[in-house]
Amino acid sequence: MAGFGGNWTKKVLVEINATLKRRNSVRLQSILVIEPPFDEIYTQLINEIRQQYPVPHTEAEERLQPIIKEIVTDTHEEESGDGDDLGGIVPSWGSMVSFLSCWLLFLRDVDPSDLLKTYERLNELQTRANSALTHPTKGILILPTLIGYAKVFARVAIGLDKHPELIAHLVSASSSEEGRSETLPEKAANVIRQAFSTCLNDRYTVPGGVKSGRPDGKKIGIYRMANMCLKILFQCEKLDNCKQIFNNIYNSSPPLSIYPASDRVTYLYYLGRYHFSKDAFFPALLALQKAYDDCSKAPPYKHQRRLILIYLITVNLILGRFPSHELYSRPEAAGLRQRFEPITQAIRKGDLESFRRLTNLNHEFAPWFLQFRIFYQIENYCEVQLWRSLFRKVFLHFGELGASERAAPTLDLWKVLSAFHFYEKRALLPASMAQADGGPGKRHINFIFQQDKPLPSAGYVDPDFDGLDLKPEFLLPDIIEMESIASSLISQGFMNGFISHKQKRLAIIGARRAGSAVKAGWPNYWSVILGRSNDEVMGWRKDTMGSGGAFGPGSVVRLSGLKAAGE
Amino acid sequence: MSAQPSSKPGATDPKADAPASKDAQKPAAQLEEDDEFEDFPVEDWPEEETQLPGGNAHLWEESWDDDDTNEDFAVQLREELKKLGQK
Repeated sequence: MAGFGGNWTKKVLVEINATLKRRNSVRLQSILVIEPPFDEIYTQLINEIRQQYPVPHTEAEERLQPIIKEIVTDTHEEESGDGDDLGGIVPSWGSMVSFLSCWLLFLRDVDPSDLLKTYERLNELQTRANSALTHPTKGILILPTLIGYAKVFARVAIGLDKHPELIAHLVSASSSEEGRSETLPEKAANVIRQAFSTCLNDRYTVPGGVKSGRPDGKKIGIYRMANMCLKILFQCEKLDNCKQIFNNIYNSSPPLSIYPASDRVTYLYYLGRYHFSKDAFFPALLALQKAYDDCSKAPPYKHQRRLILIYLITVNLILGRFPSHELYSRPEAAGLRQRFEPITQAIRKGDLESFRRLTNLNHEFAPWFLQFRIFYQIENYCEVQLWRSLFRKVFLHFGELGASERAAPTLDLWKVLSAFHFYEKRALLPASMAQADGGPGKRHINFIFQQDKPLPSAGYVDPDFDGLDLKPEFLLPDIIEMESIASSLISQGFMNGFISHKQKRLAIIGARRAGSAVKAGWPNYWSVILGRSNDEVMGWRKDTMGSGGAFGPGSVVRLSGLKAAGE
Repeated sequence: MSAQPSSKPGATDPKADAPASKDAQKPAAQLEEDDEFEDFPVEDWPEEETQLPGGNAHLWEESWDDDDTNEDFAVQLREELKKLGQK
């Protein structure tokens, strides 16, 4: 950049123009820095702008833009080369001029100690960069720069979300017309989403957007931009806003598999967590398993693998697959056995008492499960597996094989009910007392007073009713509930049989064919899940658009050539 | 499920018989773990780098039913049955 005297603004603009003409987007990104500390040349540049343009933003822009336009000639309208479909003319790039003036003034004003002001200026800069990106042929040159800015913008937005005191005065002013207030991180995600849409909808690519096995044109940026939106939205717990991104990608993205590993793994992590939050556990499992498989196993990425693994273990647990010793011994799984294994042990044994204690909000690991938002899913969905195990366990002890060879094996539901009562009542005792219970004939004298009477702390009485003669009521399950649970397990395929309402018995079907009543009555949980699931995952684009001519999500059906009925 | 804090130590506390002090109850698990999925510093990595040392073969147990039939459980269930007024 030598040979331009002391005019640093001009020097930089000349260099930008040369870089644009060379179509060097990576070099462009290295010039358009926004984060301190700045090199000497930028210090000179910033001083010069402060001296020559010490005026309000709009006025400074009005003075800067003609200079930019004159020096950065690559923003002018020009004749295009052969073979494009722009009618021989490449349109001018006014949005780049506008972006560059915004960038120069960002440098002039940036003050990293003022997070809110930095957010506002980045918002403006990001919006201008988004506009520059929309230029049909040259927009792509700004993509790496824009991705870099979006990273900083996302970081600042998340930082602000963690310091609500800095933005408290803005919250009331930011309500939308519908009355819903939009947070600053949400607004940032919306700005970045515009760039995502530009990348996704880039028409200036080969059909399908894939060239030599790589994403063509701006489509290279689809997942990078989407991941940044998703990161912000997950961080500020606005998961519903993610749906549109997943839908858009599902409908019109090139296949995920042609993108770099970091894009794929990050995207599938968020997609898996999204499906998990919607109780779509099988799609969540597929996405998270692929994210875990494709994530680098190198030590620096242990934390990313750990986060994927926490959700992957949870979703497998819910679907009836338990972590092996090998998995627990992975470096990223440190401490996870301690949290998950007691739960899987309780499920295996049908130990409802332990399960109740482990899924109690007072349990020492409850805050950890709550932090990762997996507590209630485990509590609700794993209980079904526990019911199954308990029915099975009671059958192992008390199942009746039938008087004749043709008679079905049966299970008395009253016996199952007694097992539920046994565990539910023990779960209400203090753990120390339940552990000390040696069974009939071997009990401590205190059991005379404790049995069937739960602790006062086991029930909730609203403080408003304090002092009134109100006692919490404990409803133990009854025989109707046993019928109901049995029906539920049968209808979900986790138990094979039918119920005699009159006799209060479960009859097992297919025992002779399966070789044993237990095998027939309680098919493998995971196999049942597999049998009713498929590999389709909303949001996970697996094939190329329009390839194979198959109908499916994302395929375009042209109706223009069709005749109306009756014609 | 109760939302009230228990006045006794938790289920897995090995010192369950020790007198419970409210100050001594803050479990280590409450320390928050970092839950932010950081950006990867590199864009891509070779497939070899994704392989687990022992292979991906045995990460999950799909058959976990417990066939242990210890007698204590049967005895305790019979006692519970009596209370239900059955048999």
